[in-house]
Amino acid sequence: MTAPAIALSGIVKHYRMGDEDIPALRGIDLAVPSGTFAAVRGPSGSGKSTLLNICGLIDAPDAGRYLLAGEDVGGLDEDARTMIRRRSIGFVFQSYNLVPVMSVRDNVEYPLLLLGLPAGERRGRVDEILDQVGLAGLADRRPDQLSGGQRQRVAIARALVKSPTLVIADEPTANLDTATAAQVIDLMKALGHRHGATFLIATHDDRMTAHCDSVHAITDGSLQ
Amino acid sequence: MSAAINALRLAWRNVLRNRRRSLVTILIATVGCTSVLVASGFALYTYDQLRDGAAREFGHITIAGRDYFTRDEETPMQYGIDDYRQLTAGLMANPLVRRVLPRVSLSGLISNGDKSVIFLGIGADIEAEAEVRGQFLKLVDGAFAAPEGALPAVLLGADLARSLNARPGTGLTLLATTTSGGINAIDVMVTGIVSTGWREVDKRLVYTPVATAQHLLMSDRISTLSVYLDSLDAVPVTHEYLSKADPVHAYKPWWEQAFYYDSVRGLYNRIFGLLGLIIGMLVFFSVANTLAMAVVERTREIGTLRALGALPGEIVAQFLREGALIGAIGAVLGTLLAGIVVLALPHAGMEMPPPPGRSVGYPLLVNASLPLYLLTNAAIIALCATAAWFVSRKAAKKPIVEALAHV
Repeated sequence: MTAPAIALSGIVKHYRMGDEDIPALRGIDLAVPSGTFAAVRGPSGSGKSTLLNICGLIDAPDAGRYLLAGEDVGGLDEDARTMIRRRSIGFVFQSYNLVPVMSVRDNVEYPLLLLGLPAGERRGRVDEILDQVGLAGLADRRPDQLSGGQRQRVAIARALVKSPTLVIADEPTANLDTATAAQVIDLMKALGHRHGATFLIATHDDRMTAHCDSVHAITDGSLQ
Repeated sequence: MSAAINALRLAWRNVLRNRRRSLVTILIATVGCTSVLVASGFALYTYDQLRDGAAREFGHITIAGRDYFTRDEETPMQYGIDDYRQLTAGLMANPLVRRVLPRVSLSGLISNGDKSVIFLGIGADIEAEAEVRGQFLKLVDGAFAAPEGALPAVLLGADLARSLNARPGTGLTLLATTTSGGINAIDVMVTGIVSTGWREVDKRLVYTPVATAQHLLMSDRISTLSVYLDSLDAVPVTHEYLSKADPVHAYKPWWEQAFYYDSVRGLYNRIFGLLGLIIGMLVFFSVANTLAMAVVERTREIGTLRALGALPGEIVAQFLREGALIGAIGAVLGTLLAGIVVLALPHAGMEMPPPPGRSVGYPLLVNASLPLYLLTNAAIIALCATAAWFVSRKAAKKPIVEALAHV
């Protein structure tokens, strides 16, 4: 039996505000099977972004256990977490977060450069993923020459180009109009299945949750 | 495309992000580089001139009696050289030796009958000295060559001539202590008034032929022999060879007598060293300021790249490349500008004012030196890269969540 992509147990996180400890997550238990789409939804300040940050290894919990594809990643130091992110985790941000001075090709190629892949392999993989997201003809454009939907497609290509175990998507359709959001959702779904990646998505968007295999509601740092 | 070229291309694009800001920073690096190269080139030119001047003045190697350089003479010529012609003939057999010139140092009183003042004299073959040293004396009045006449000829320093109201053709009396401790006086005639460019020297200077000086001191000795070689490079080896071959005399290379050269070099090294330090700090803080603004503006981007798996060191390396690129562009432009200055100055005919104690200025010229240019370029690039490291290392380690939330 395949280990779940994400297995959280008793995850606790506090933020310090002045002299006060603000609880962000209060003992989260969550399992997301490998290759599935899981949505986390909740109002602002409910802790969904914190949960995604911890699952994406860009933040560390104060307590609890996190198994990523069966590997205990809870006690790793920052460099070790970075190497796991580099290898196994992709990110899709609400505001795309593309590097403005890089072309579409360079943005998508960046994760492969970090992996140290040879130039030929990088080029092949980038061409393939750009073709899959429908941007093959726009590879040399800069992000500011693209529409919002196209930028998010670049971000999805960047997240999936290294065939990661997990993709963290924080409100990926929040800045898109209805039609574009629908296209992006369809694209994520199609490519997610093709690349075998697990998606953990923070969203308010009902259209998005409708496409997910599981939806986890979070309120005041606790899953319902 | 290789990762290295990719990284450089990215650095170039980042430099171009804020063109005006980068341009100002590059200009500061350019001006800094030019300033260092021109100031250092001027110092090198000065060193070269002073070194050549000192070597021409003293001779590449000075030969004297064994104790001449270490003990004070109780009577004139006590440590002088006997039979200098034989020694000269031996030296001239050495293929590296170009010329050997005898000199007699003397001092005493010079009088016009009404007034007597102290003089410091040199007995030398003026024409031979001029052949070897070039035009080392400026003729103010009269002639170098002595006309045929009954009286021995002398050249007077301009200020000494003024003090004695002497002009070419004036008869004077030289009075000096002889080698035996007695007093001797001879009548001489002024053939020329000269200037060395040094006021203090011109107040006391008397040039006489060697024979006249020996006659005044009542001695066949000379004080020193100045040996001129084919080149300055040959001095160390020839000095070592001659010293070992002749234990009877003392051999001193030019640099052990060039006190003015040493002190100017020491002074300039400190002045231009401090100037270089100040320029370096200006370049450093300017680049640091530019890149600090870039780092703040790109905090969110840093967070994104860190989330994608870039290590802090890789983020710092990216800024370091940008700093080095700014430095490299500035250094190349600065070098070109300095090259133009080097080439243009000889045609500009600019003069430096006379240094303290001198009465004549000297041309404002700047030397170009490959090691200096390479070192300065490397220093500017290293400074800019260090500034980039300095400002980016903290942002690269900022928690990713905070960096991504940066507005």
